[in-house]
Amino acid sequence: MTEQNAPVDRDLVREFLQATLPFSELDATALDRLVRQCVIDFQPAGVRLFRRDITEVDALSVIQKGGVKLFAQDESGRISLADYRGEGACLGAMALFKNAKAGLDAETVEDTFFVKIPRDAFFEAVAANPAIPRYFLKSLSETFTTKAFAEIRQRSSEAPDESNLYLFSLQVGSLVERAPAMVPFGLTIQNAAREMLRQSVGSLLIQGSSGAACGIITDTDIRKAVALGIDMQAPAETIMTAPLETIAETAVCFDALIAMMGKNIHHLAITSGEKIIGVITSHDIMVLQGRSPFAVFREVSTRSTIEGLYPMRAKTCRVARTLVEEGARAGNITRILSIINDLVLQRLLELLLKELGPPPVKFCWLVMGSEGRREQTFATDQDNALVYADCSVDYLERAAEVYFEAFTARAVEHLARCGFPRCPGDMMASNPRWRKSLSAWKQTFDHWISSPEPSEVMHSTIFFDFRAGPGEKSLADELRSHITGRCAENDIFLRHMAQDAMQARPPLSFFKNIVVEKNGEHKNTLDIKARGLLPFMDFARVMALRSGIRQTSTLERLAMLKAGEHLPGDLAQEAMEAFEFLQQLRLVHQMDLLDRNLEPNNRIDPARLTALEKRTLRDAFGVATALQSHLKEAFSLQMG
Amino acid sequence: MGSPFSLSRLWGQTFGQVFGQKASTGPATPVSVNNEACRGLDQSLPLEDCVFTVFDTELTGLNPAKDEIVSIGAVRIRNLQIIQGERFHVLVKPEMPLPKFSTLIHRITPERIGQAPALAQVLPDFLAFLNGTLLVGHYVELDMSFLSAACKRLYGQAPANPCLDTMLLAMSWQRRLQSAYCDQFDQSISYTLGSLSKRLGLPAFPSHDAMHDAMQTAYLFIYLTQKLRAMGIRTLRELHRPARSQSYGL
Repeated sequence: MTEQNAPVDRDLVREFLQATLPFSELDATALDRLVRQCVIDFQPAGVRLFRRDITEVDALSVIQKGGVKLFAQDESGRISLADYRGEGACLGAMALFKNAKAGLDAETVEDTFFVKIPRDAFFEAVAANPAIPRYFLKSLSETFTTKAFAEIRQRSSEAPDESNLYLFSLQVGSLVERAPAMVPFGLTIQNAAREMLRQSVGSLLIQGSSGAACGIITDTDIRKAVALGIDMQAPAETIMTAPLETIAETAVCFDALIAMMGKNIHHLAITSGEKIIGVITSHDIMVLQGRSPFAVFREVSTRSTIEGLYPMRAKTCRVARTLVEEGARAGNITRILSIINDLVLQRLLELLLKELGPPPVKFCWLVMGSEGRREQTFATDQDNALVYADCSVDYLERAAEVYFEAFTARAVEHLARCGFPRCPGDMMASNPRWRKSLSAWKQTFDHWISSPEPSEVMHSTIFFDFRAGPGEKSLADELRSHITGRCAENDIFLRHMAQDAMQARPPLSFFKNIVVEKNGEHKNTLDIKARGLLPFMDFARVMALRSGIRQTSTLERLAMLKAGEHLPGDLAQEAMEAFEFLQQLRLVHQMDLLDRNLEPNNRIDPARLTALEKRTLRDAFGVATALQSHLKEAFSLQMG
Repeated sequence: MGSPFSLSRLWGQTFGQVFGQKASTGPATPVSVNNEACRGLDQSLPLEDCVFTVFDTELTGLNPAKDEIVSIGAVRIRNLQIIQGERFHVLVKPEMPLPKFSTLIHRITPERIGQAPALAQVLPDFLAFLNGTLLVGHYVELDMSFLSAACKRLYGQAPANPCLDTMLLAMSWQRRLQSAYCDQFDQSISYTLGSLSKRLGLPAFPSHDAMHDAMQTAYLFIYLTQKLRAMGIRTLRELHRPARSQSYGL
């Protein structure tokens, strides 16, 4: 009888539910039905809504405006806060599904308007769309995580893609880095292969009797020759590809790519007038495009000067972008980034050793912190140290000191130029405190472990994430074994570390949609590293040390904890998913900043997140809280 | 006593009008049916047991003798909750041509109401919707004067529903708050629906649409009643004192 002749209305309650998960999943008809059955309620701040095990829940309450806290009160009257619910969040879903009384106490903390969905209407919606029960019943469900990942991906791919432009603007001549490797006619296949190894090239031009190149042999040709059982002493020209395909240096990369694809070849000689100035491969063009991680990988390993490594960072970023666009998960992306960064480090130290001559004793570069955990993103400081073999005589010790001082100072400087900023806390190998012999390092760790002052624990956490960089790996392994043994037997140290891990409190949830820094230049942003990722890292570290697990990456540690049944399987699984999700948000955020030529950081503006991302983020914080509770129980900590 | 809002000089008259009236002997009209339903009203009823209808009208102008209603929006409140499914919204075609300045306010164009029914056609539905409930409006006297004029013209009798004014309720609540902190009553505060809603942090509706204004008023009403309930006001009679409309009170 109502609303006859009704003009077409904008219904704000409908609009509100339509923008609120999971009701946004409903189709228009189902949503209309639902909206008609809603009522709007208001409760001032401080009103008790639910009493645990007493209140009958007859409706789902969606917070339209305001906020509610959920808590549990034990027999002694002590209150422990369980959650804050802000706008768009729901109350009473569990009670409805279980057909039970309220599971927690609830009280408004602000003046709060609710859109209440009566029980019957709610279950009607539940029956109409399976997304609704799924939302309520699966905490951090795979479906939603995946969907949230997809949203992130979509957002990141809106960024401009300039790499394709290179194809049409860059001349192939600029890709040439060295004169072509050329050998005279008549060299044996074996000698040709040796020559390729010596010059570390993948192709060799064969010089004809006129002096001009008449053909090319490549790795592929050598492989074919071996497979066919051709005599290695036969002349190389028997297996070469001729005539040599050439392209003028002024041609653009796109033309070169077309030429290669058309002839199904991977090498092209570049000519300047009559003269061949070099050879390019399809890889060179792919590297330029930054599309293939392997291409960057290969490019790093063939750099012959340290300066040549400086620009690799930018290419690494492009690789990561490709991976995100292709749907790779954060764990894989950070692993690839770490592999490339490891390689840059490896190559850099190799070249530096060539420059400085061999060290007096064996050493191993240690990478720590995020690098040690293989969790590097784009905003990664250097955290490194150096261990060298114990010296039998003191003059060797002095020589080592002098050598490694010079070595580390240069290495750190070059790394900074490669785009790894210096550590503000000076936790770098160039600092004499973090450059010791193996037995001195053992003593340092023993000291940390046996007399844990709070500051010592704070100081040392990132050291416990070290892993071997370039150098003599056995040194790092021995140190790791030493520490693993010591930690597992020293409960007091682990308790201190666990206590420390409780310091980083994850935000309980989004209250009023955001939990953000209230003041300063980072106002209204959320530090996703400090507030989100750190609790996971700290948790994995202390639990791994306790369980004698040697792995350093958070995901690996969690997987090992799960495999060893040191952690309930569900919790471990949720922790891995939540951690990866946070990491993904962080990566995409940093990539976005890089696209805008800004310095990458960890400050996320929650206002820019979608409802689904917010919800998933909230769940991730919930998991972090659960981990801390586990820690508290495992170490029987009394927390304030 | 002190405030001009807390006492209605029409209290006795209106009360007498509703309860002292003889049962109508003539043929039943939509108004008389509604008025009959008003008779059982118990002022000691707890607020949560009362049924309110929050309404708002859009008008061609402000003079009840000359201007007309172009739109009515209304929503029900039961148990101090807004019932989404019990709403009433109509556009009305006035007999006079729609003045341009009113269109500028409520955005109802002559074109939009061209197909709309006349007030005489929709008034029975609206009175049936009211069905003897308590009426709530923001500066309700204005809307009520138009409704009464129309009813008198069509049925020779005005609706007898007691009215509550959210503007008076807000002033009274504000005064209670302020008297707790300082003696000065701040006269500079705006009590229009929009600025009140904004100041109190209510979900905001676009203004000057009868249905949205009715919803906004409903939000304001449940906000204020819950706030006043927390101050110890439990019954209709207690609530009524500050919010009684001067001309259409109980």
